[in-house]
Amino acid sequence: MATQVFKVPDTFRKDFKYTFCPGCDHGVAIRLVAEVLEELGLQENAIIAAAIGCSVTIYDFLNIDALEAPHGRAIAEATGIKRARPDKFVFTYQGDGDFASIGLAESIHAALRGEKISAICINNTTYGMTGGQLGPTTMLGQVTTTSPTGRNVEYYGYPIKIAEHIALCDGTAFSARVSLDSVANIKKAKQAIKKAFEVQLKGLGFGFVEILSGCPTNWRMTPEQSHEHVRNEMSAIFKPGIYKDITAEIK
Amino acid sequence: MEKDFIIAGFGGQGVLLAGEVLANGFMLDNKQVTWYPSYGAEMRGGTVNCTVVCADEEVSAVQKSTADCIVVLNQASFDRFTSHVKKGGTIIVNSSLAKIEKLRNDINYVFAPITDLAQEKLGNIKMSNILALGIVSKVSKIISTQTLEKALENVIPAHRKHLIPKNIEALKLGYEYDLLPV
Amino acid sequence: MAVETITNKKVLMKGNYAIANAAVMSGCQCYFGYPITPQSEIGEFMSGKMQELGRGYVSAESELAAINMVMGACSTGVKAMTSSSSCAVSLMQEALSYACSDELPVVLVSVMRGGPGLGNIYPSQGDYIQSTRGGGNGDYRTLVLAPSTVQECFDLTQKAFYLAHKYKNPTILLADGLLGQMMEPLEFKEYPYPEVDNSSWCLTGAKGRDGRIIRSYAPLADNQCKFLDRLFAKYKLIEENETEWEEQNTKDADILLVSFGSTARNVRTAAKICREKGLKVGTLRPITLFPFPNKRLQELAQSVKKIISVEVNMGQMVDDIRLAVNGKVPVELINKGVGTPPSPEEIVSRIEELI
Repeated sequence: MATQVFKVPDTFRKDFKYTFCPGCDHGVAIRLVAEVLEELGLQENAIIAAAIGCSVTIYDFLNIDALEAPHGRAIAEATGIKRARPDKFVFTYQGDGDFASIGLAESIHAALRGEKISAICINNTTYGMTGGQLGPTTMLGQVTTTSPTGRNVEYYGYPIKIAEHIALCDGTAFSARVSLDSVANIKKAKQAIKKAFEVQLKGLGFGFVEILSGCPTNWRMTPEQSHEHVRNEMSAIFKPGIYKDITAEIK
Repeated sequence: MEKDFIIAGFGGQGVLLAGEVLANGFMLDNKQVTWYPSYGAEMRGGTVNCTVVCADEEVSAVQKSTADCIVVLNQASFDRFTSHVKKGGTIIVNSSLAKIEKLRNDINYVFAPITDLAQEKLGNIKMSNILALGIVSKVSKIISTQTLEKALENVIPAHRKHLIPKNIEALKLGYEYDLLPV
Repeated sequence: MAVETITNKKVLMKGNYAIANAAVMSGCQCYFGYPITPQSEIGEFMSGKMQELGRGYVSAESELAAINMVMGACSTGVKAMTSSSSCAVSLMQEALSYACSDELPVVLVSVMRGGPGLGNIYPSQGDYIQSTRGGGNGDYRTLVLAPSTVQECFDLTQKAFYLAHKYKNPTILLADGLLGQMMEPLEFKEYPYPEVDNSSWCLTGAKGRDGRIIRSYAPLADNQCKFLDRLFAKYKLIEENETEWEEQNTKDADILLVSFGSTARNVRTAAKICREKGLKVGTLRPITLFPFPNKRLQELAQSVKKIISVEVNMGQMVDDIRLAVNGKVPVELINKGVGTPPSPEEIVSRIEELI
């Protein structure tokens, strides 16, 4: 007799179509978000704000209420939603360009205000949907369509370490960086997402997870190579870990 | 009927508040009225003025180049606004802070040592603005001190209500001050 | 007098406080803003009042954030607003375009100051085009209401909330530094409009239904065409239903003075002086700048010999008047770049120069 070991989360739309490139980690990240929503019983009470980039298509997967934001403004819209309806579970799903470049002011200030929302940020070190340009997290030496000879400090400056910056904000309740390059790390990622959601439910403050994510298309790599790149290169610069967890302090 | 008033002085002399009390008084007398401040980028100091227009019909222009009655609480305002008094109009001058000097023959001058009076008789120079309104009441004959007393109650916020009696005293002092011919 | 509760008696109040009080009494649940002269009193008042009432308030990190917070709040169906001025309203143009596309009932109070650029903090009507045309991308319209008294600042703020929700479209209350800073007697009124039922579209969590998406992204060209047709059918309906203006002595007028907002106060007196001088002058004051009283102007173009637009800018509304009358009658401009409006006497002398 067959045993079901894997199922599509109930929080998925019945008619969803998989639209990401082969080897892209958005699919896994969205599934984790969906599973956590389901496990915490949030599907009917959640509102998501997502902005421009590959991340915005999350609302084609999740069967929850969603507001599309202008580029960089997902956190601001989530803030407005939460202030209008404090009883709702409100979260964002953003790329690194959205969260940490054009929307950095919104991100930092929401964290400083201890805005009771959760934010998931996919860090793939590039602008994915737009065609692989240099972004705020592009690593030194990385070749992109706008850093054709690689990112050098003199010309482009340094990449931002998002989870560490968010952890510095006093209103942040939880900030972690996770990776999706292995089954073990995917499990850890899910735990972190759950934690970032729970701190909102407990009214403790801003919950944040940065997810290191492969972009094989723009990196010109195979899916396997891209996971190796996340594991060996990216993780060395953007170290996975929990950077702030006030629930640990409370215990 | 339309009467235009300008009150001018240093920032901190209570010029805007005096205008607000006067404008409230006109409102209580069921007249149409507007109050319009000069506003600048500075937060403290500098000169400040406001225009109060009272009329029977809805007020049109709220800022005026000339006025029927201008109150000047310092020398700078005296210098600036003398030429803005309408022919036959009145300028009320705080002679504590401005020279007693008549530069025009076609307007009425009223000099009173407003700051000194506030200090000597009320023990508080911050009462100068309301004291000046007492003089306005007497000179303009268009608004009573009783109405201005009620206006004070409109303007002074709840947590400062204890200041009302002292302000009423200032109004009366201004009204009763024996204006000397110069 | 900053804080006032509902009474029937008149209170002397600045236009900015009138707007803020009207918003609170309209049931505005959230205010998000960033300070800028000459409208800062609105945010100052709201910061205390919204907390006191247990409603939402955020001192936003920028105008970009503020108006997007308003969009977020509006997506849940509540009344929400921001207020700002000129150069900072420029920062909100992207969001207004999105809000039109998302059909969100955003209320924006724009208290104009001098421009372009940082300009200065004195009154101006230089954002007529910014408000009626918008600086955002794509085809869209925002409703624009232009008060000319403190009482109208109050009344039209209430109306802005109603129209925004009725038509699911951003609505701008276009005041200026003069109206924001001046005081005038004001009578408070209860919100006189019916509450609009938003339950069919707003985001409340997908309970017992599929998730709703409020978005402006239409990947297929066909879809976007259909959407724009529907959007512009709505604007046509707004033009038919909501165009509002006020006119005086137009019946026998040879000259029609057109002005809006605070300038209309001085123009009214100028027209009166002209009449005393034997000039047949009438006035028209658009209260809604979009929709603009095109039809009425077309009618009046049949009988008047000249139309003069009076504005505190370099001539913006005058373009709309010219479009409306389509060459039927000469349209002239009396203007001043920035500051308080030209005095009635100055307007009269310039009318005399023009005729």
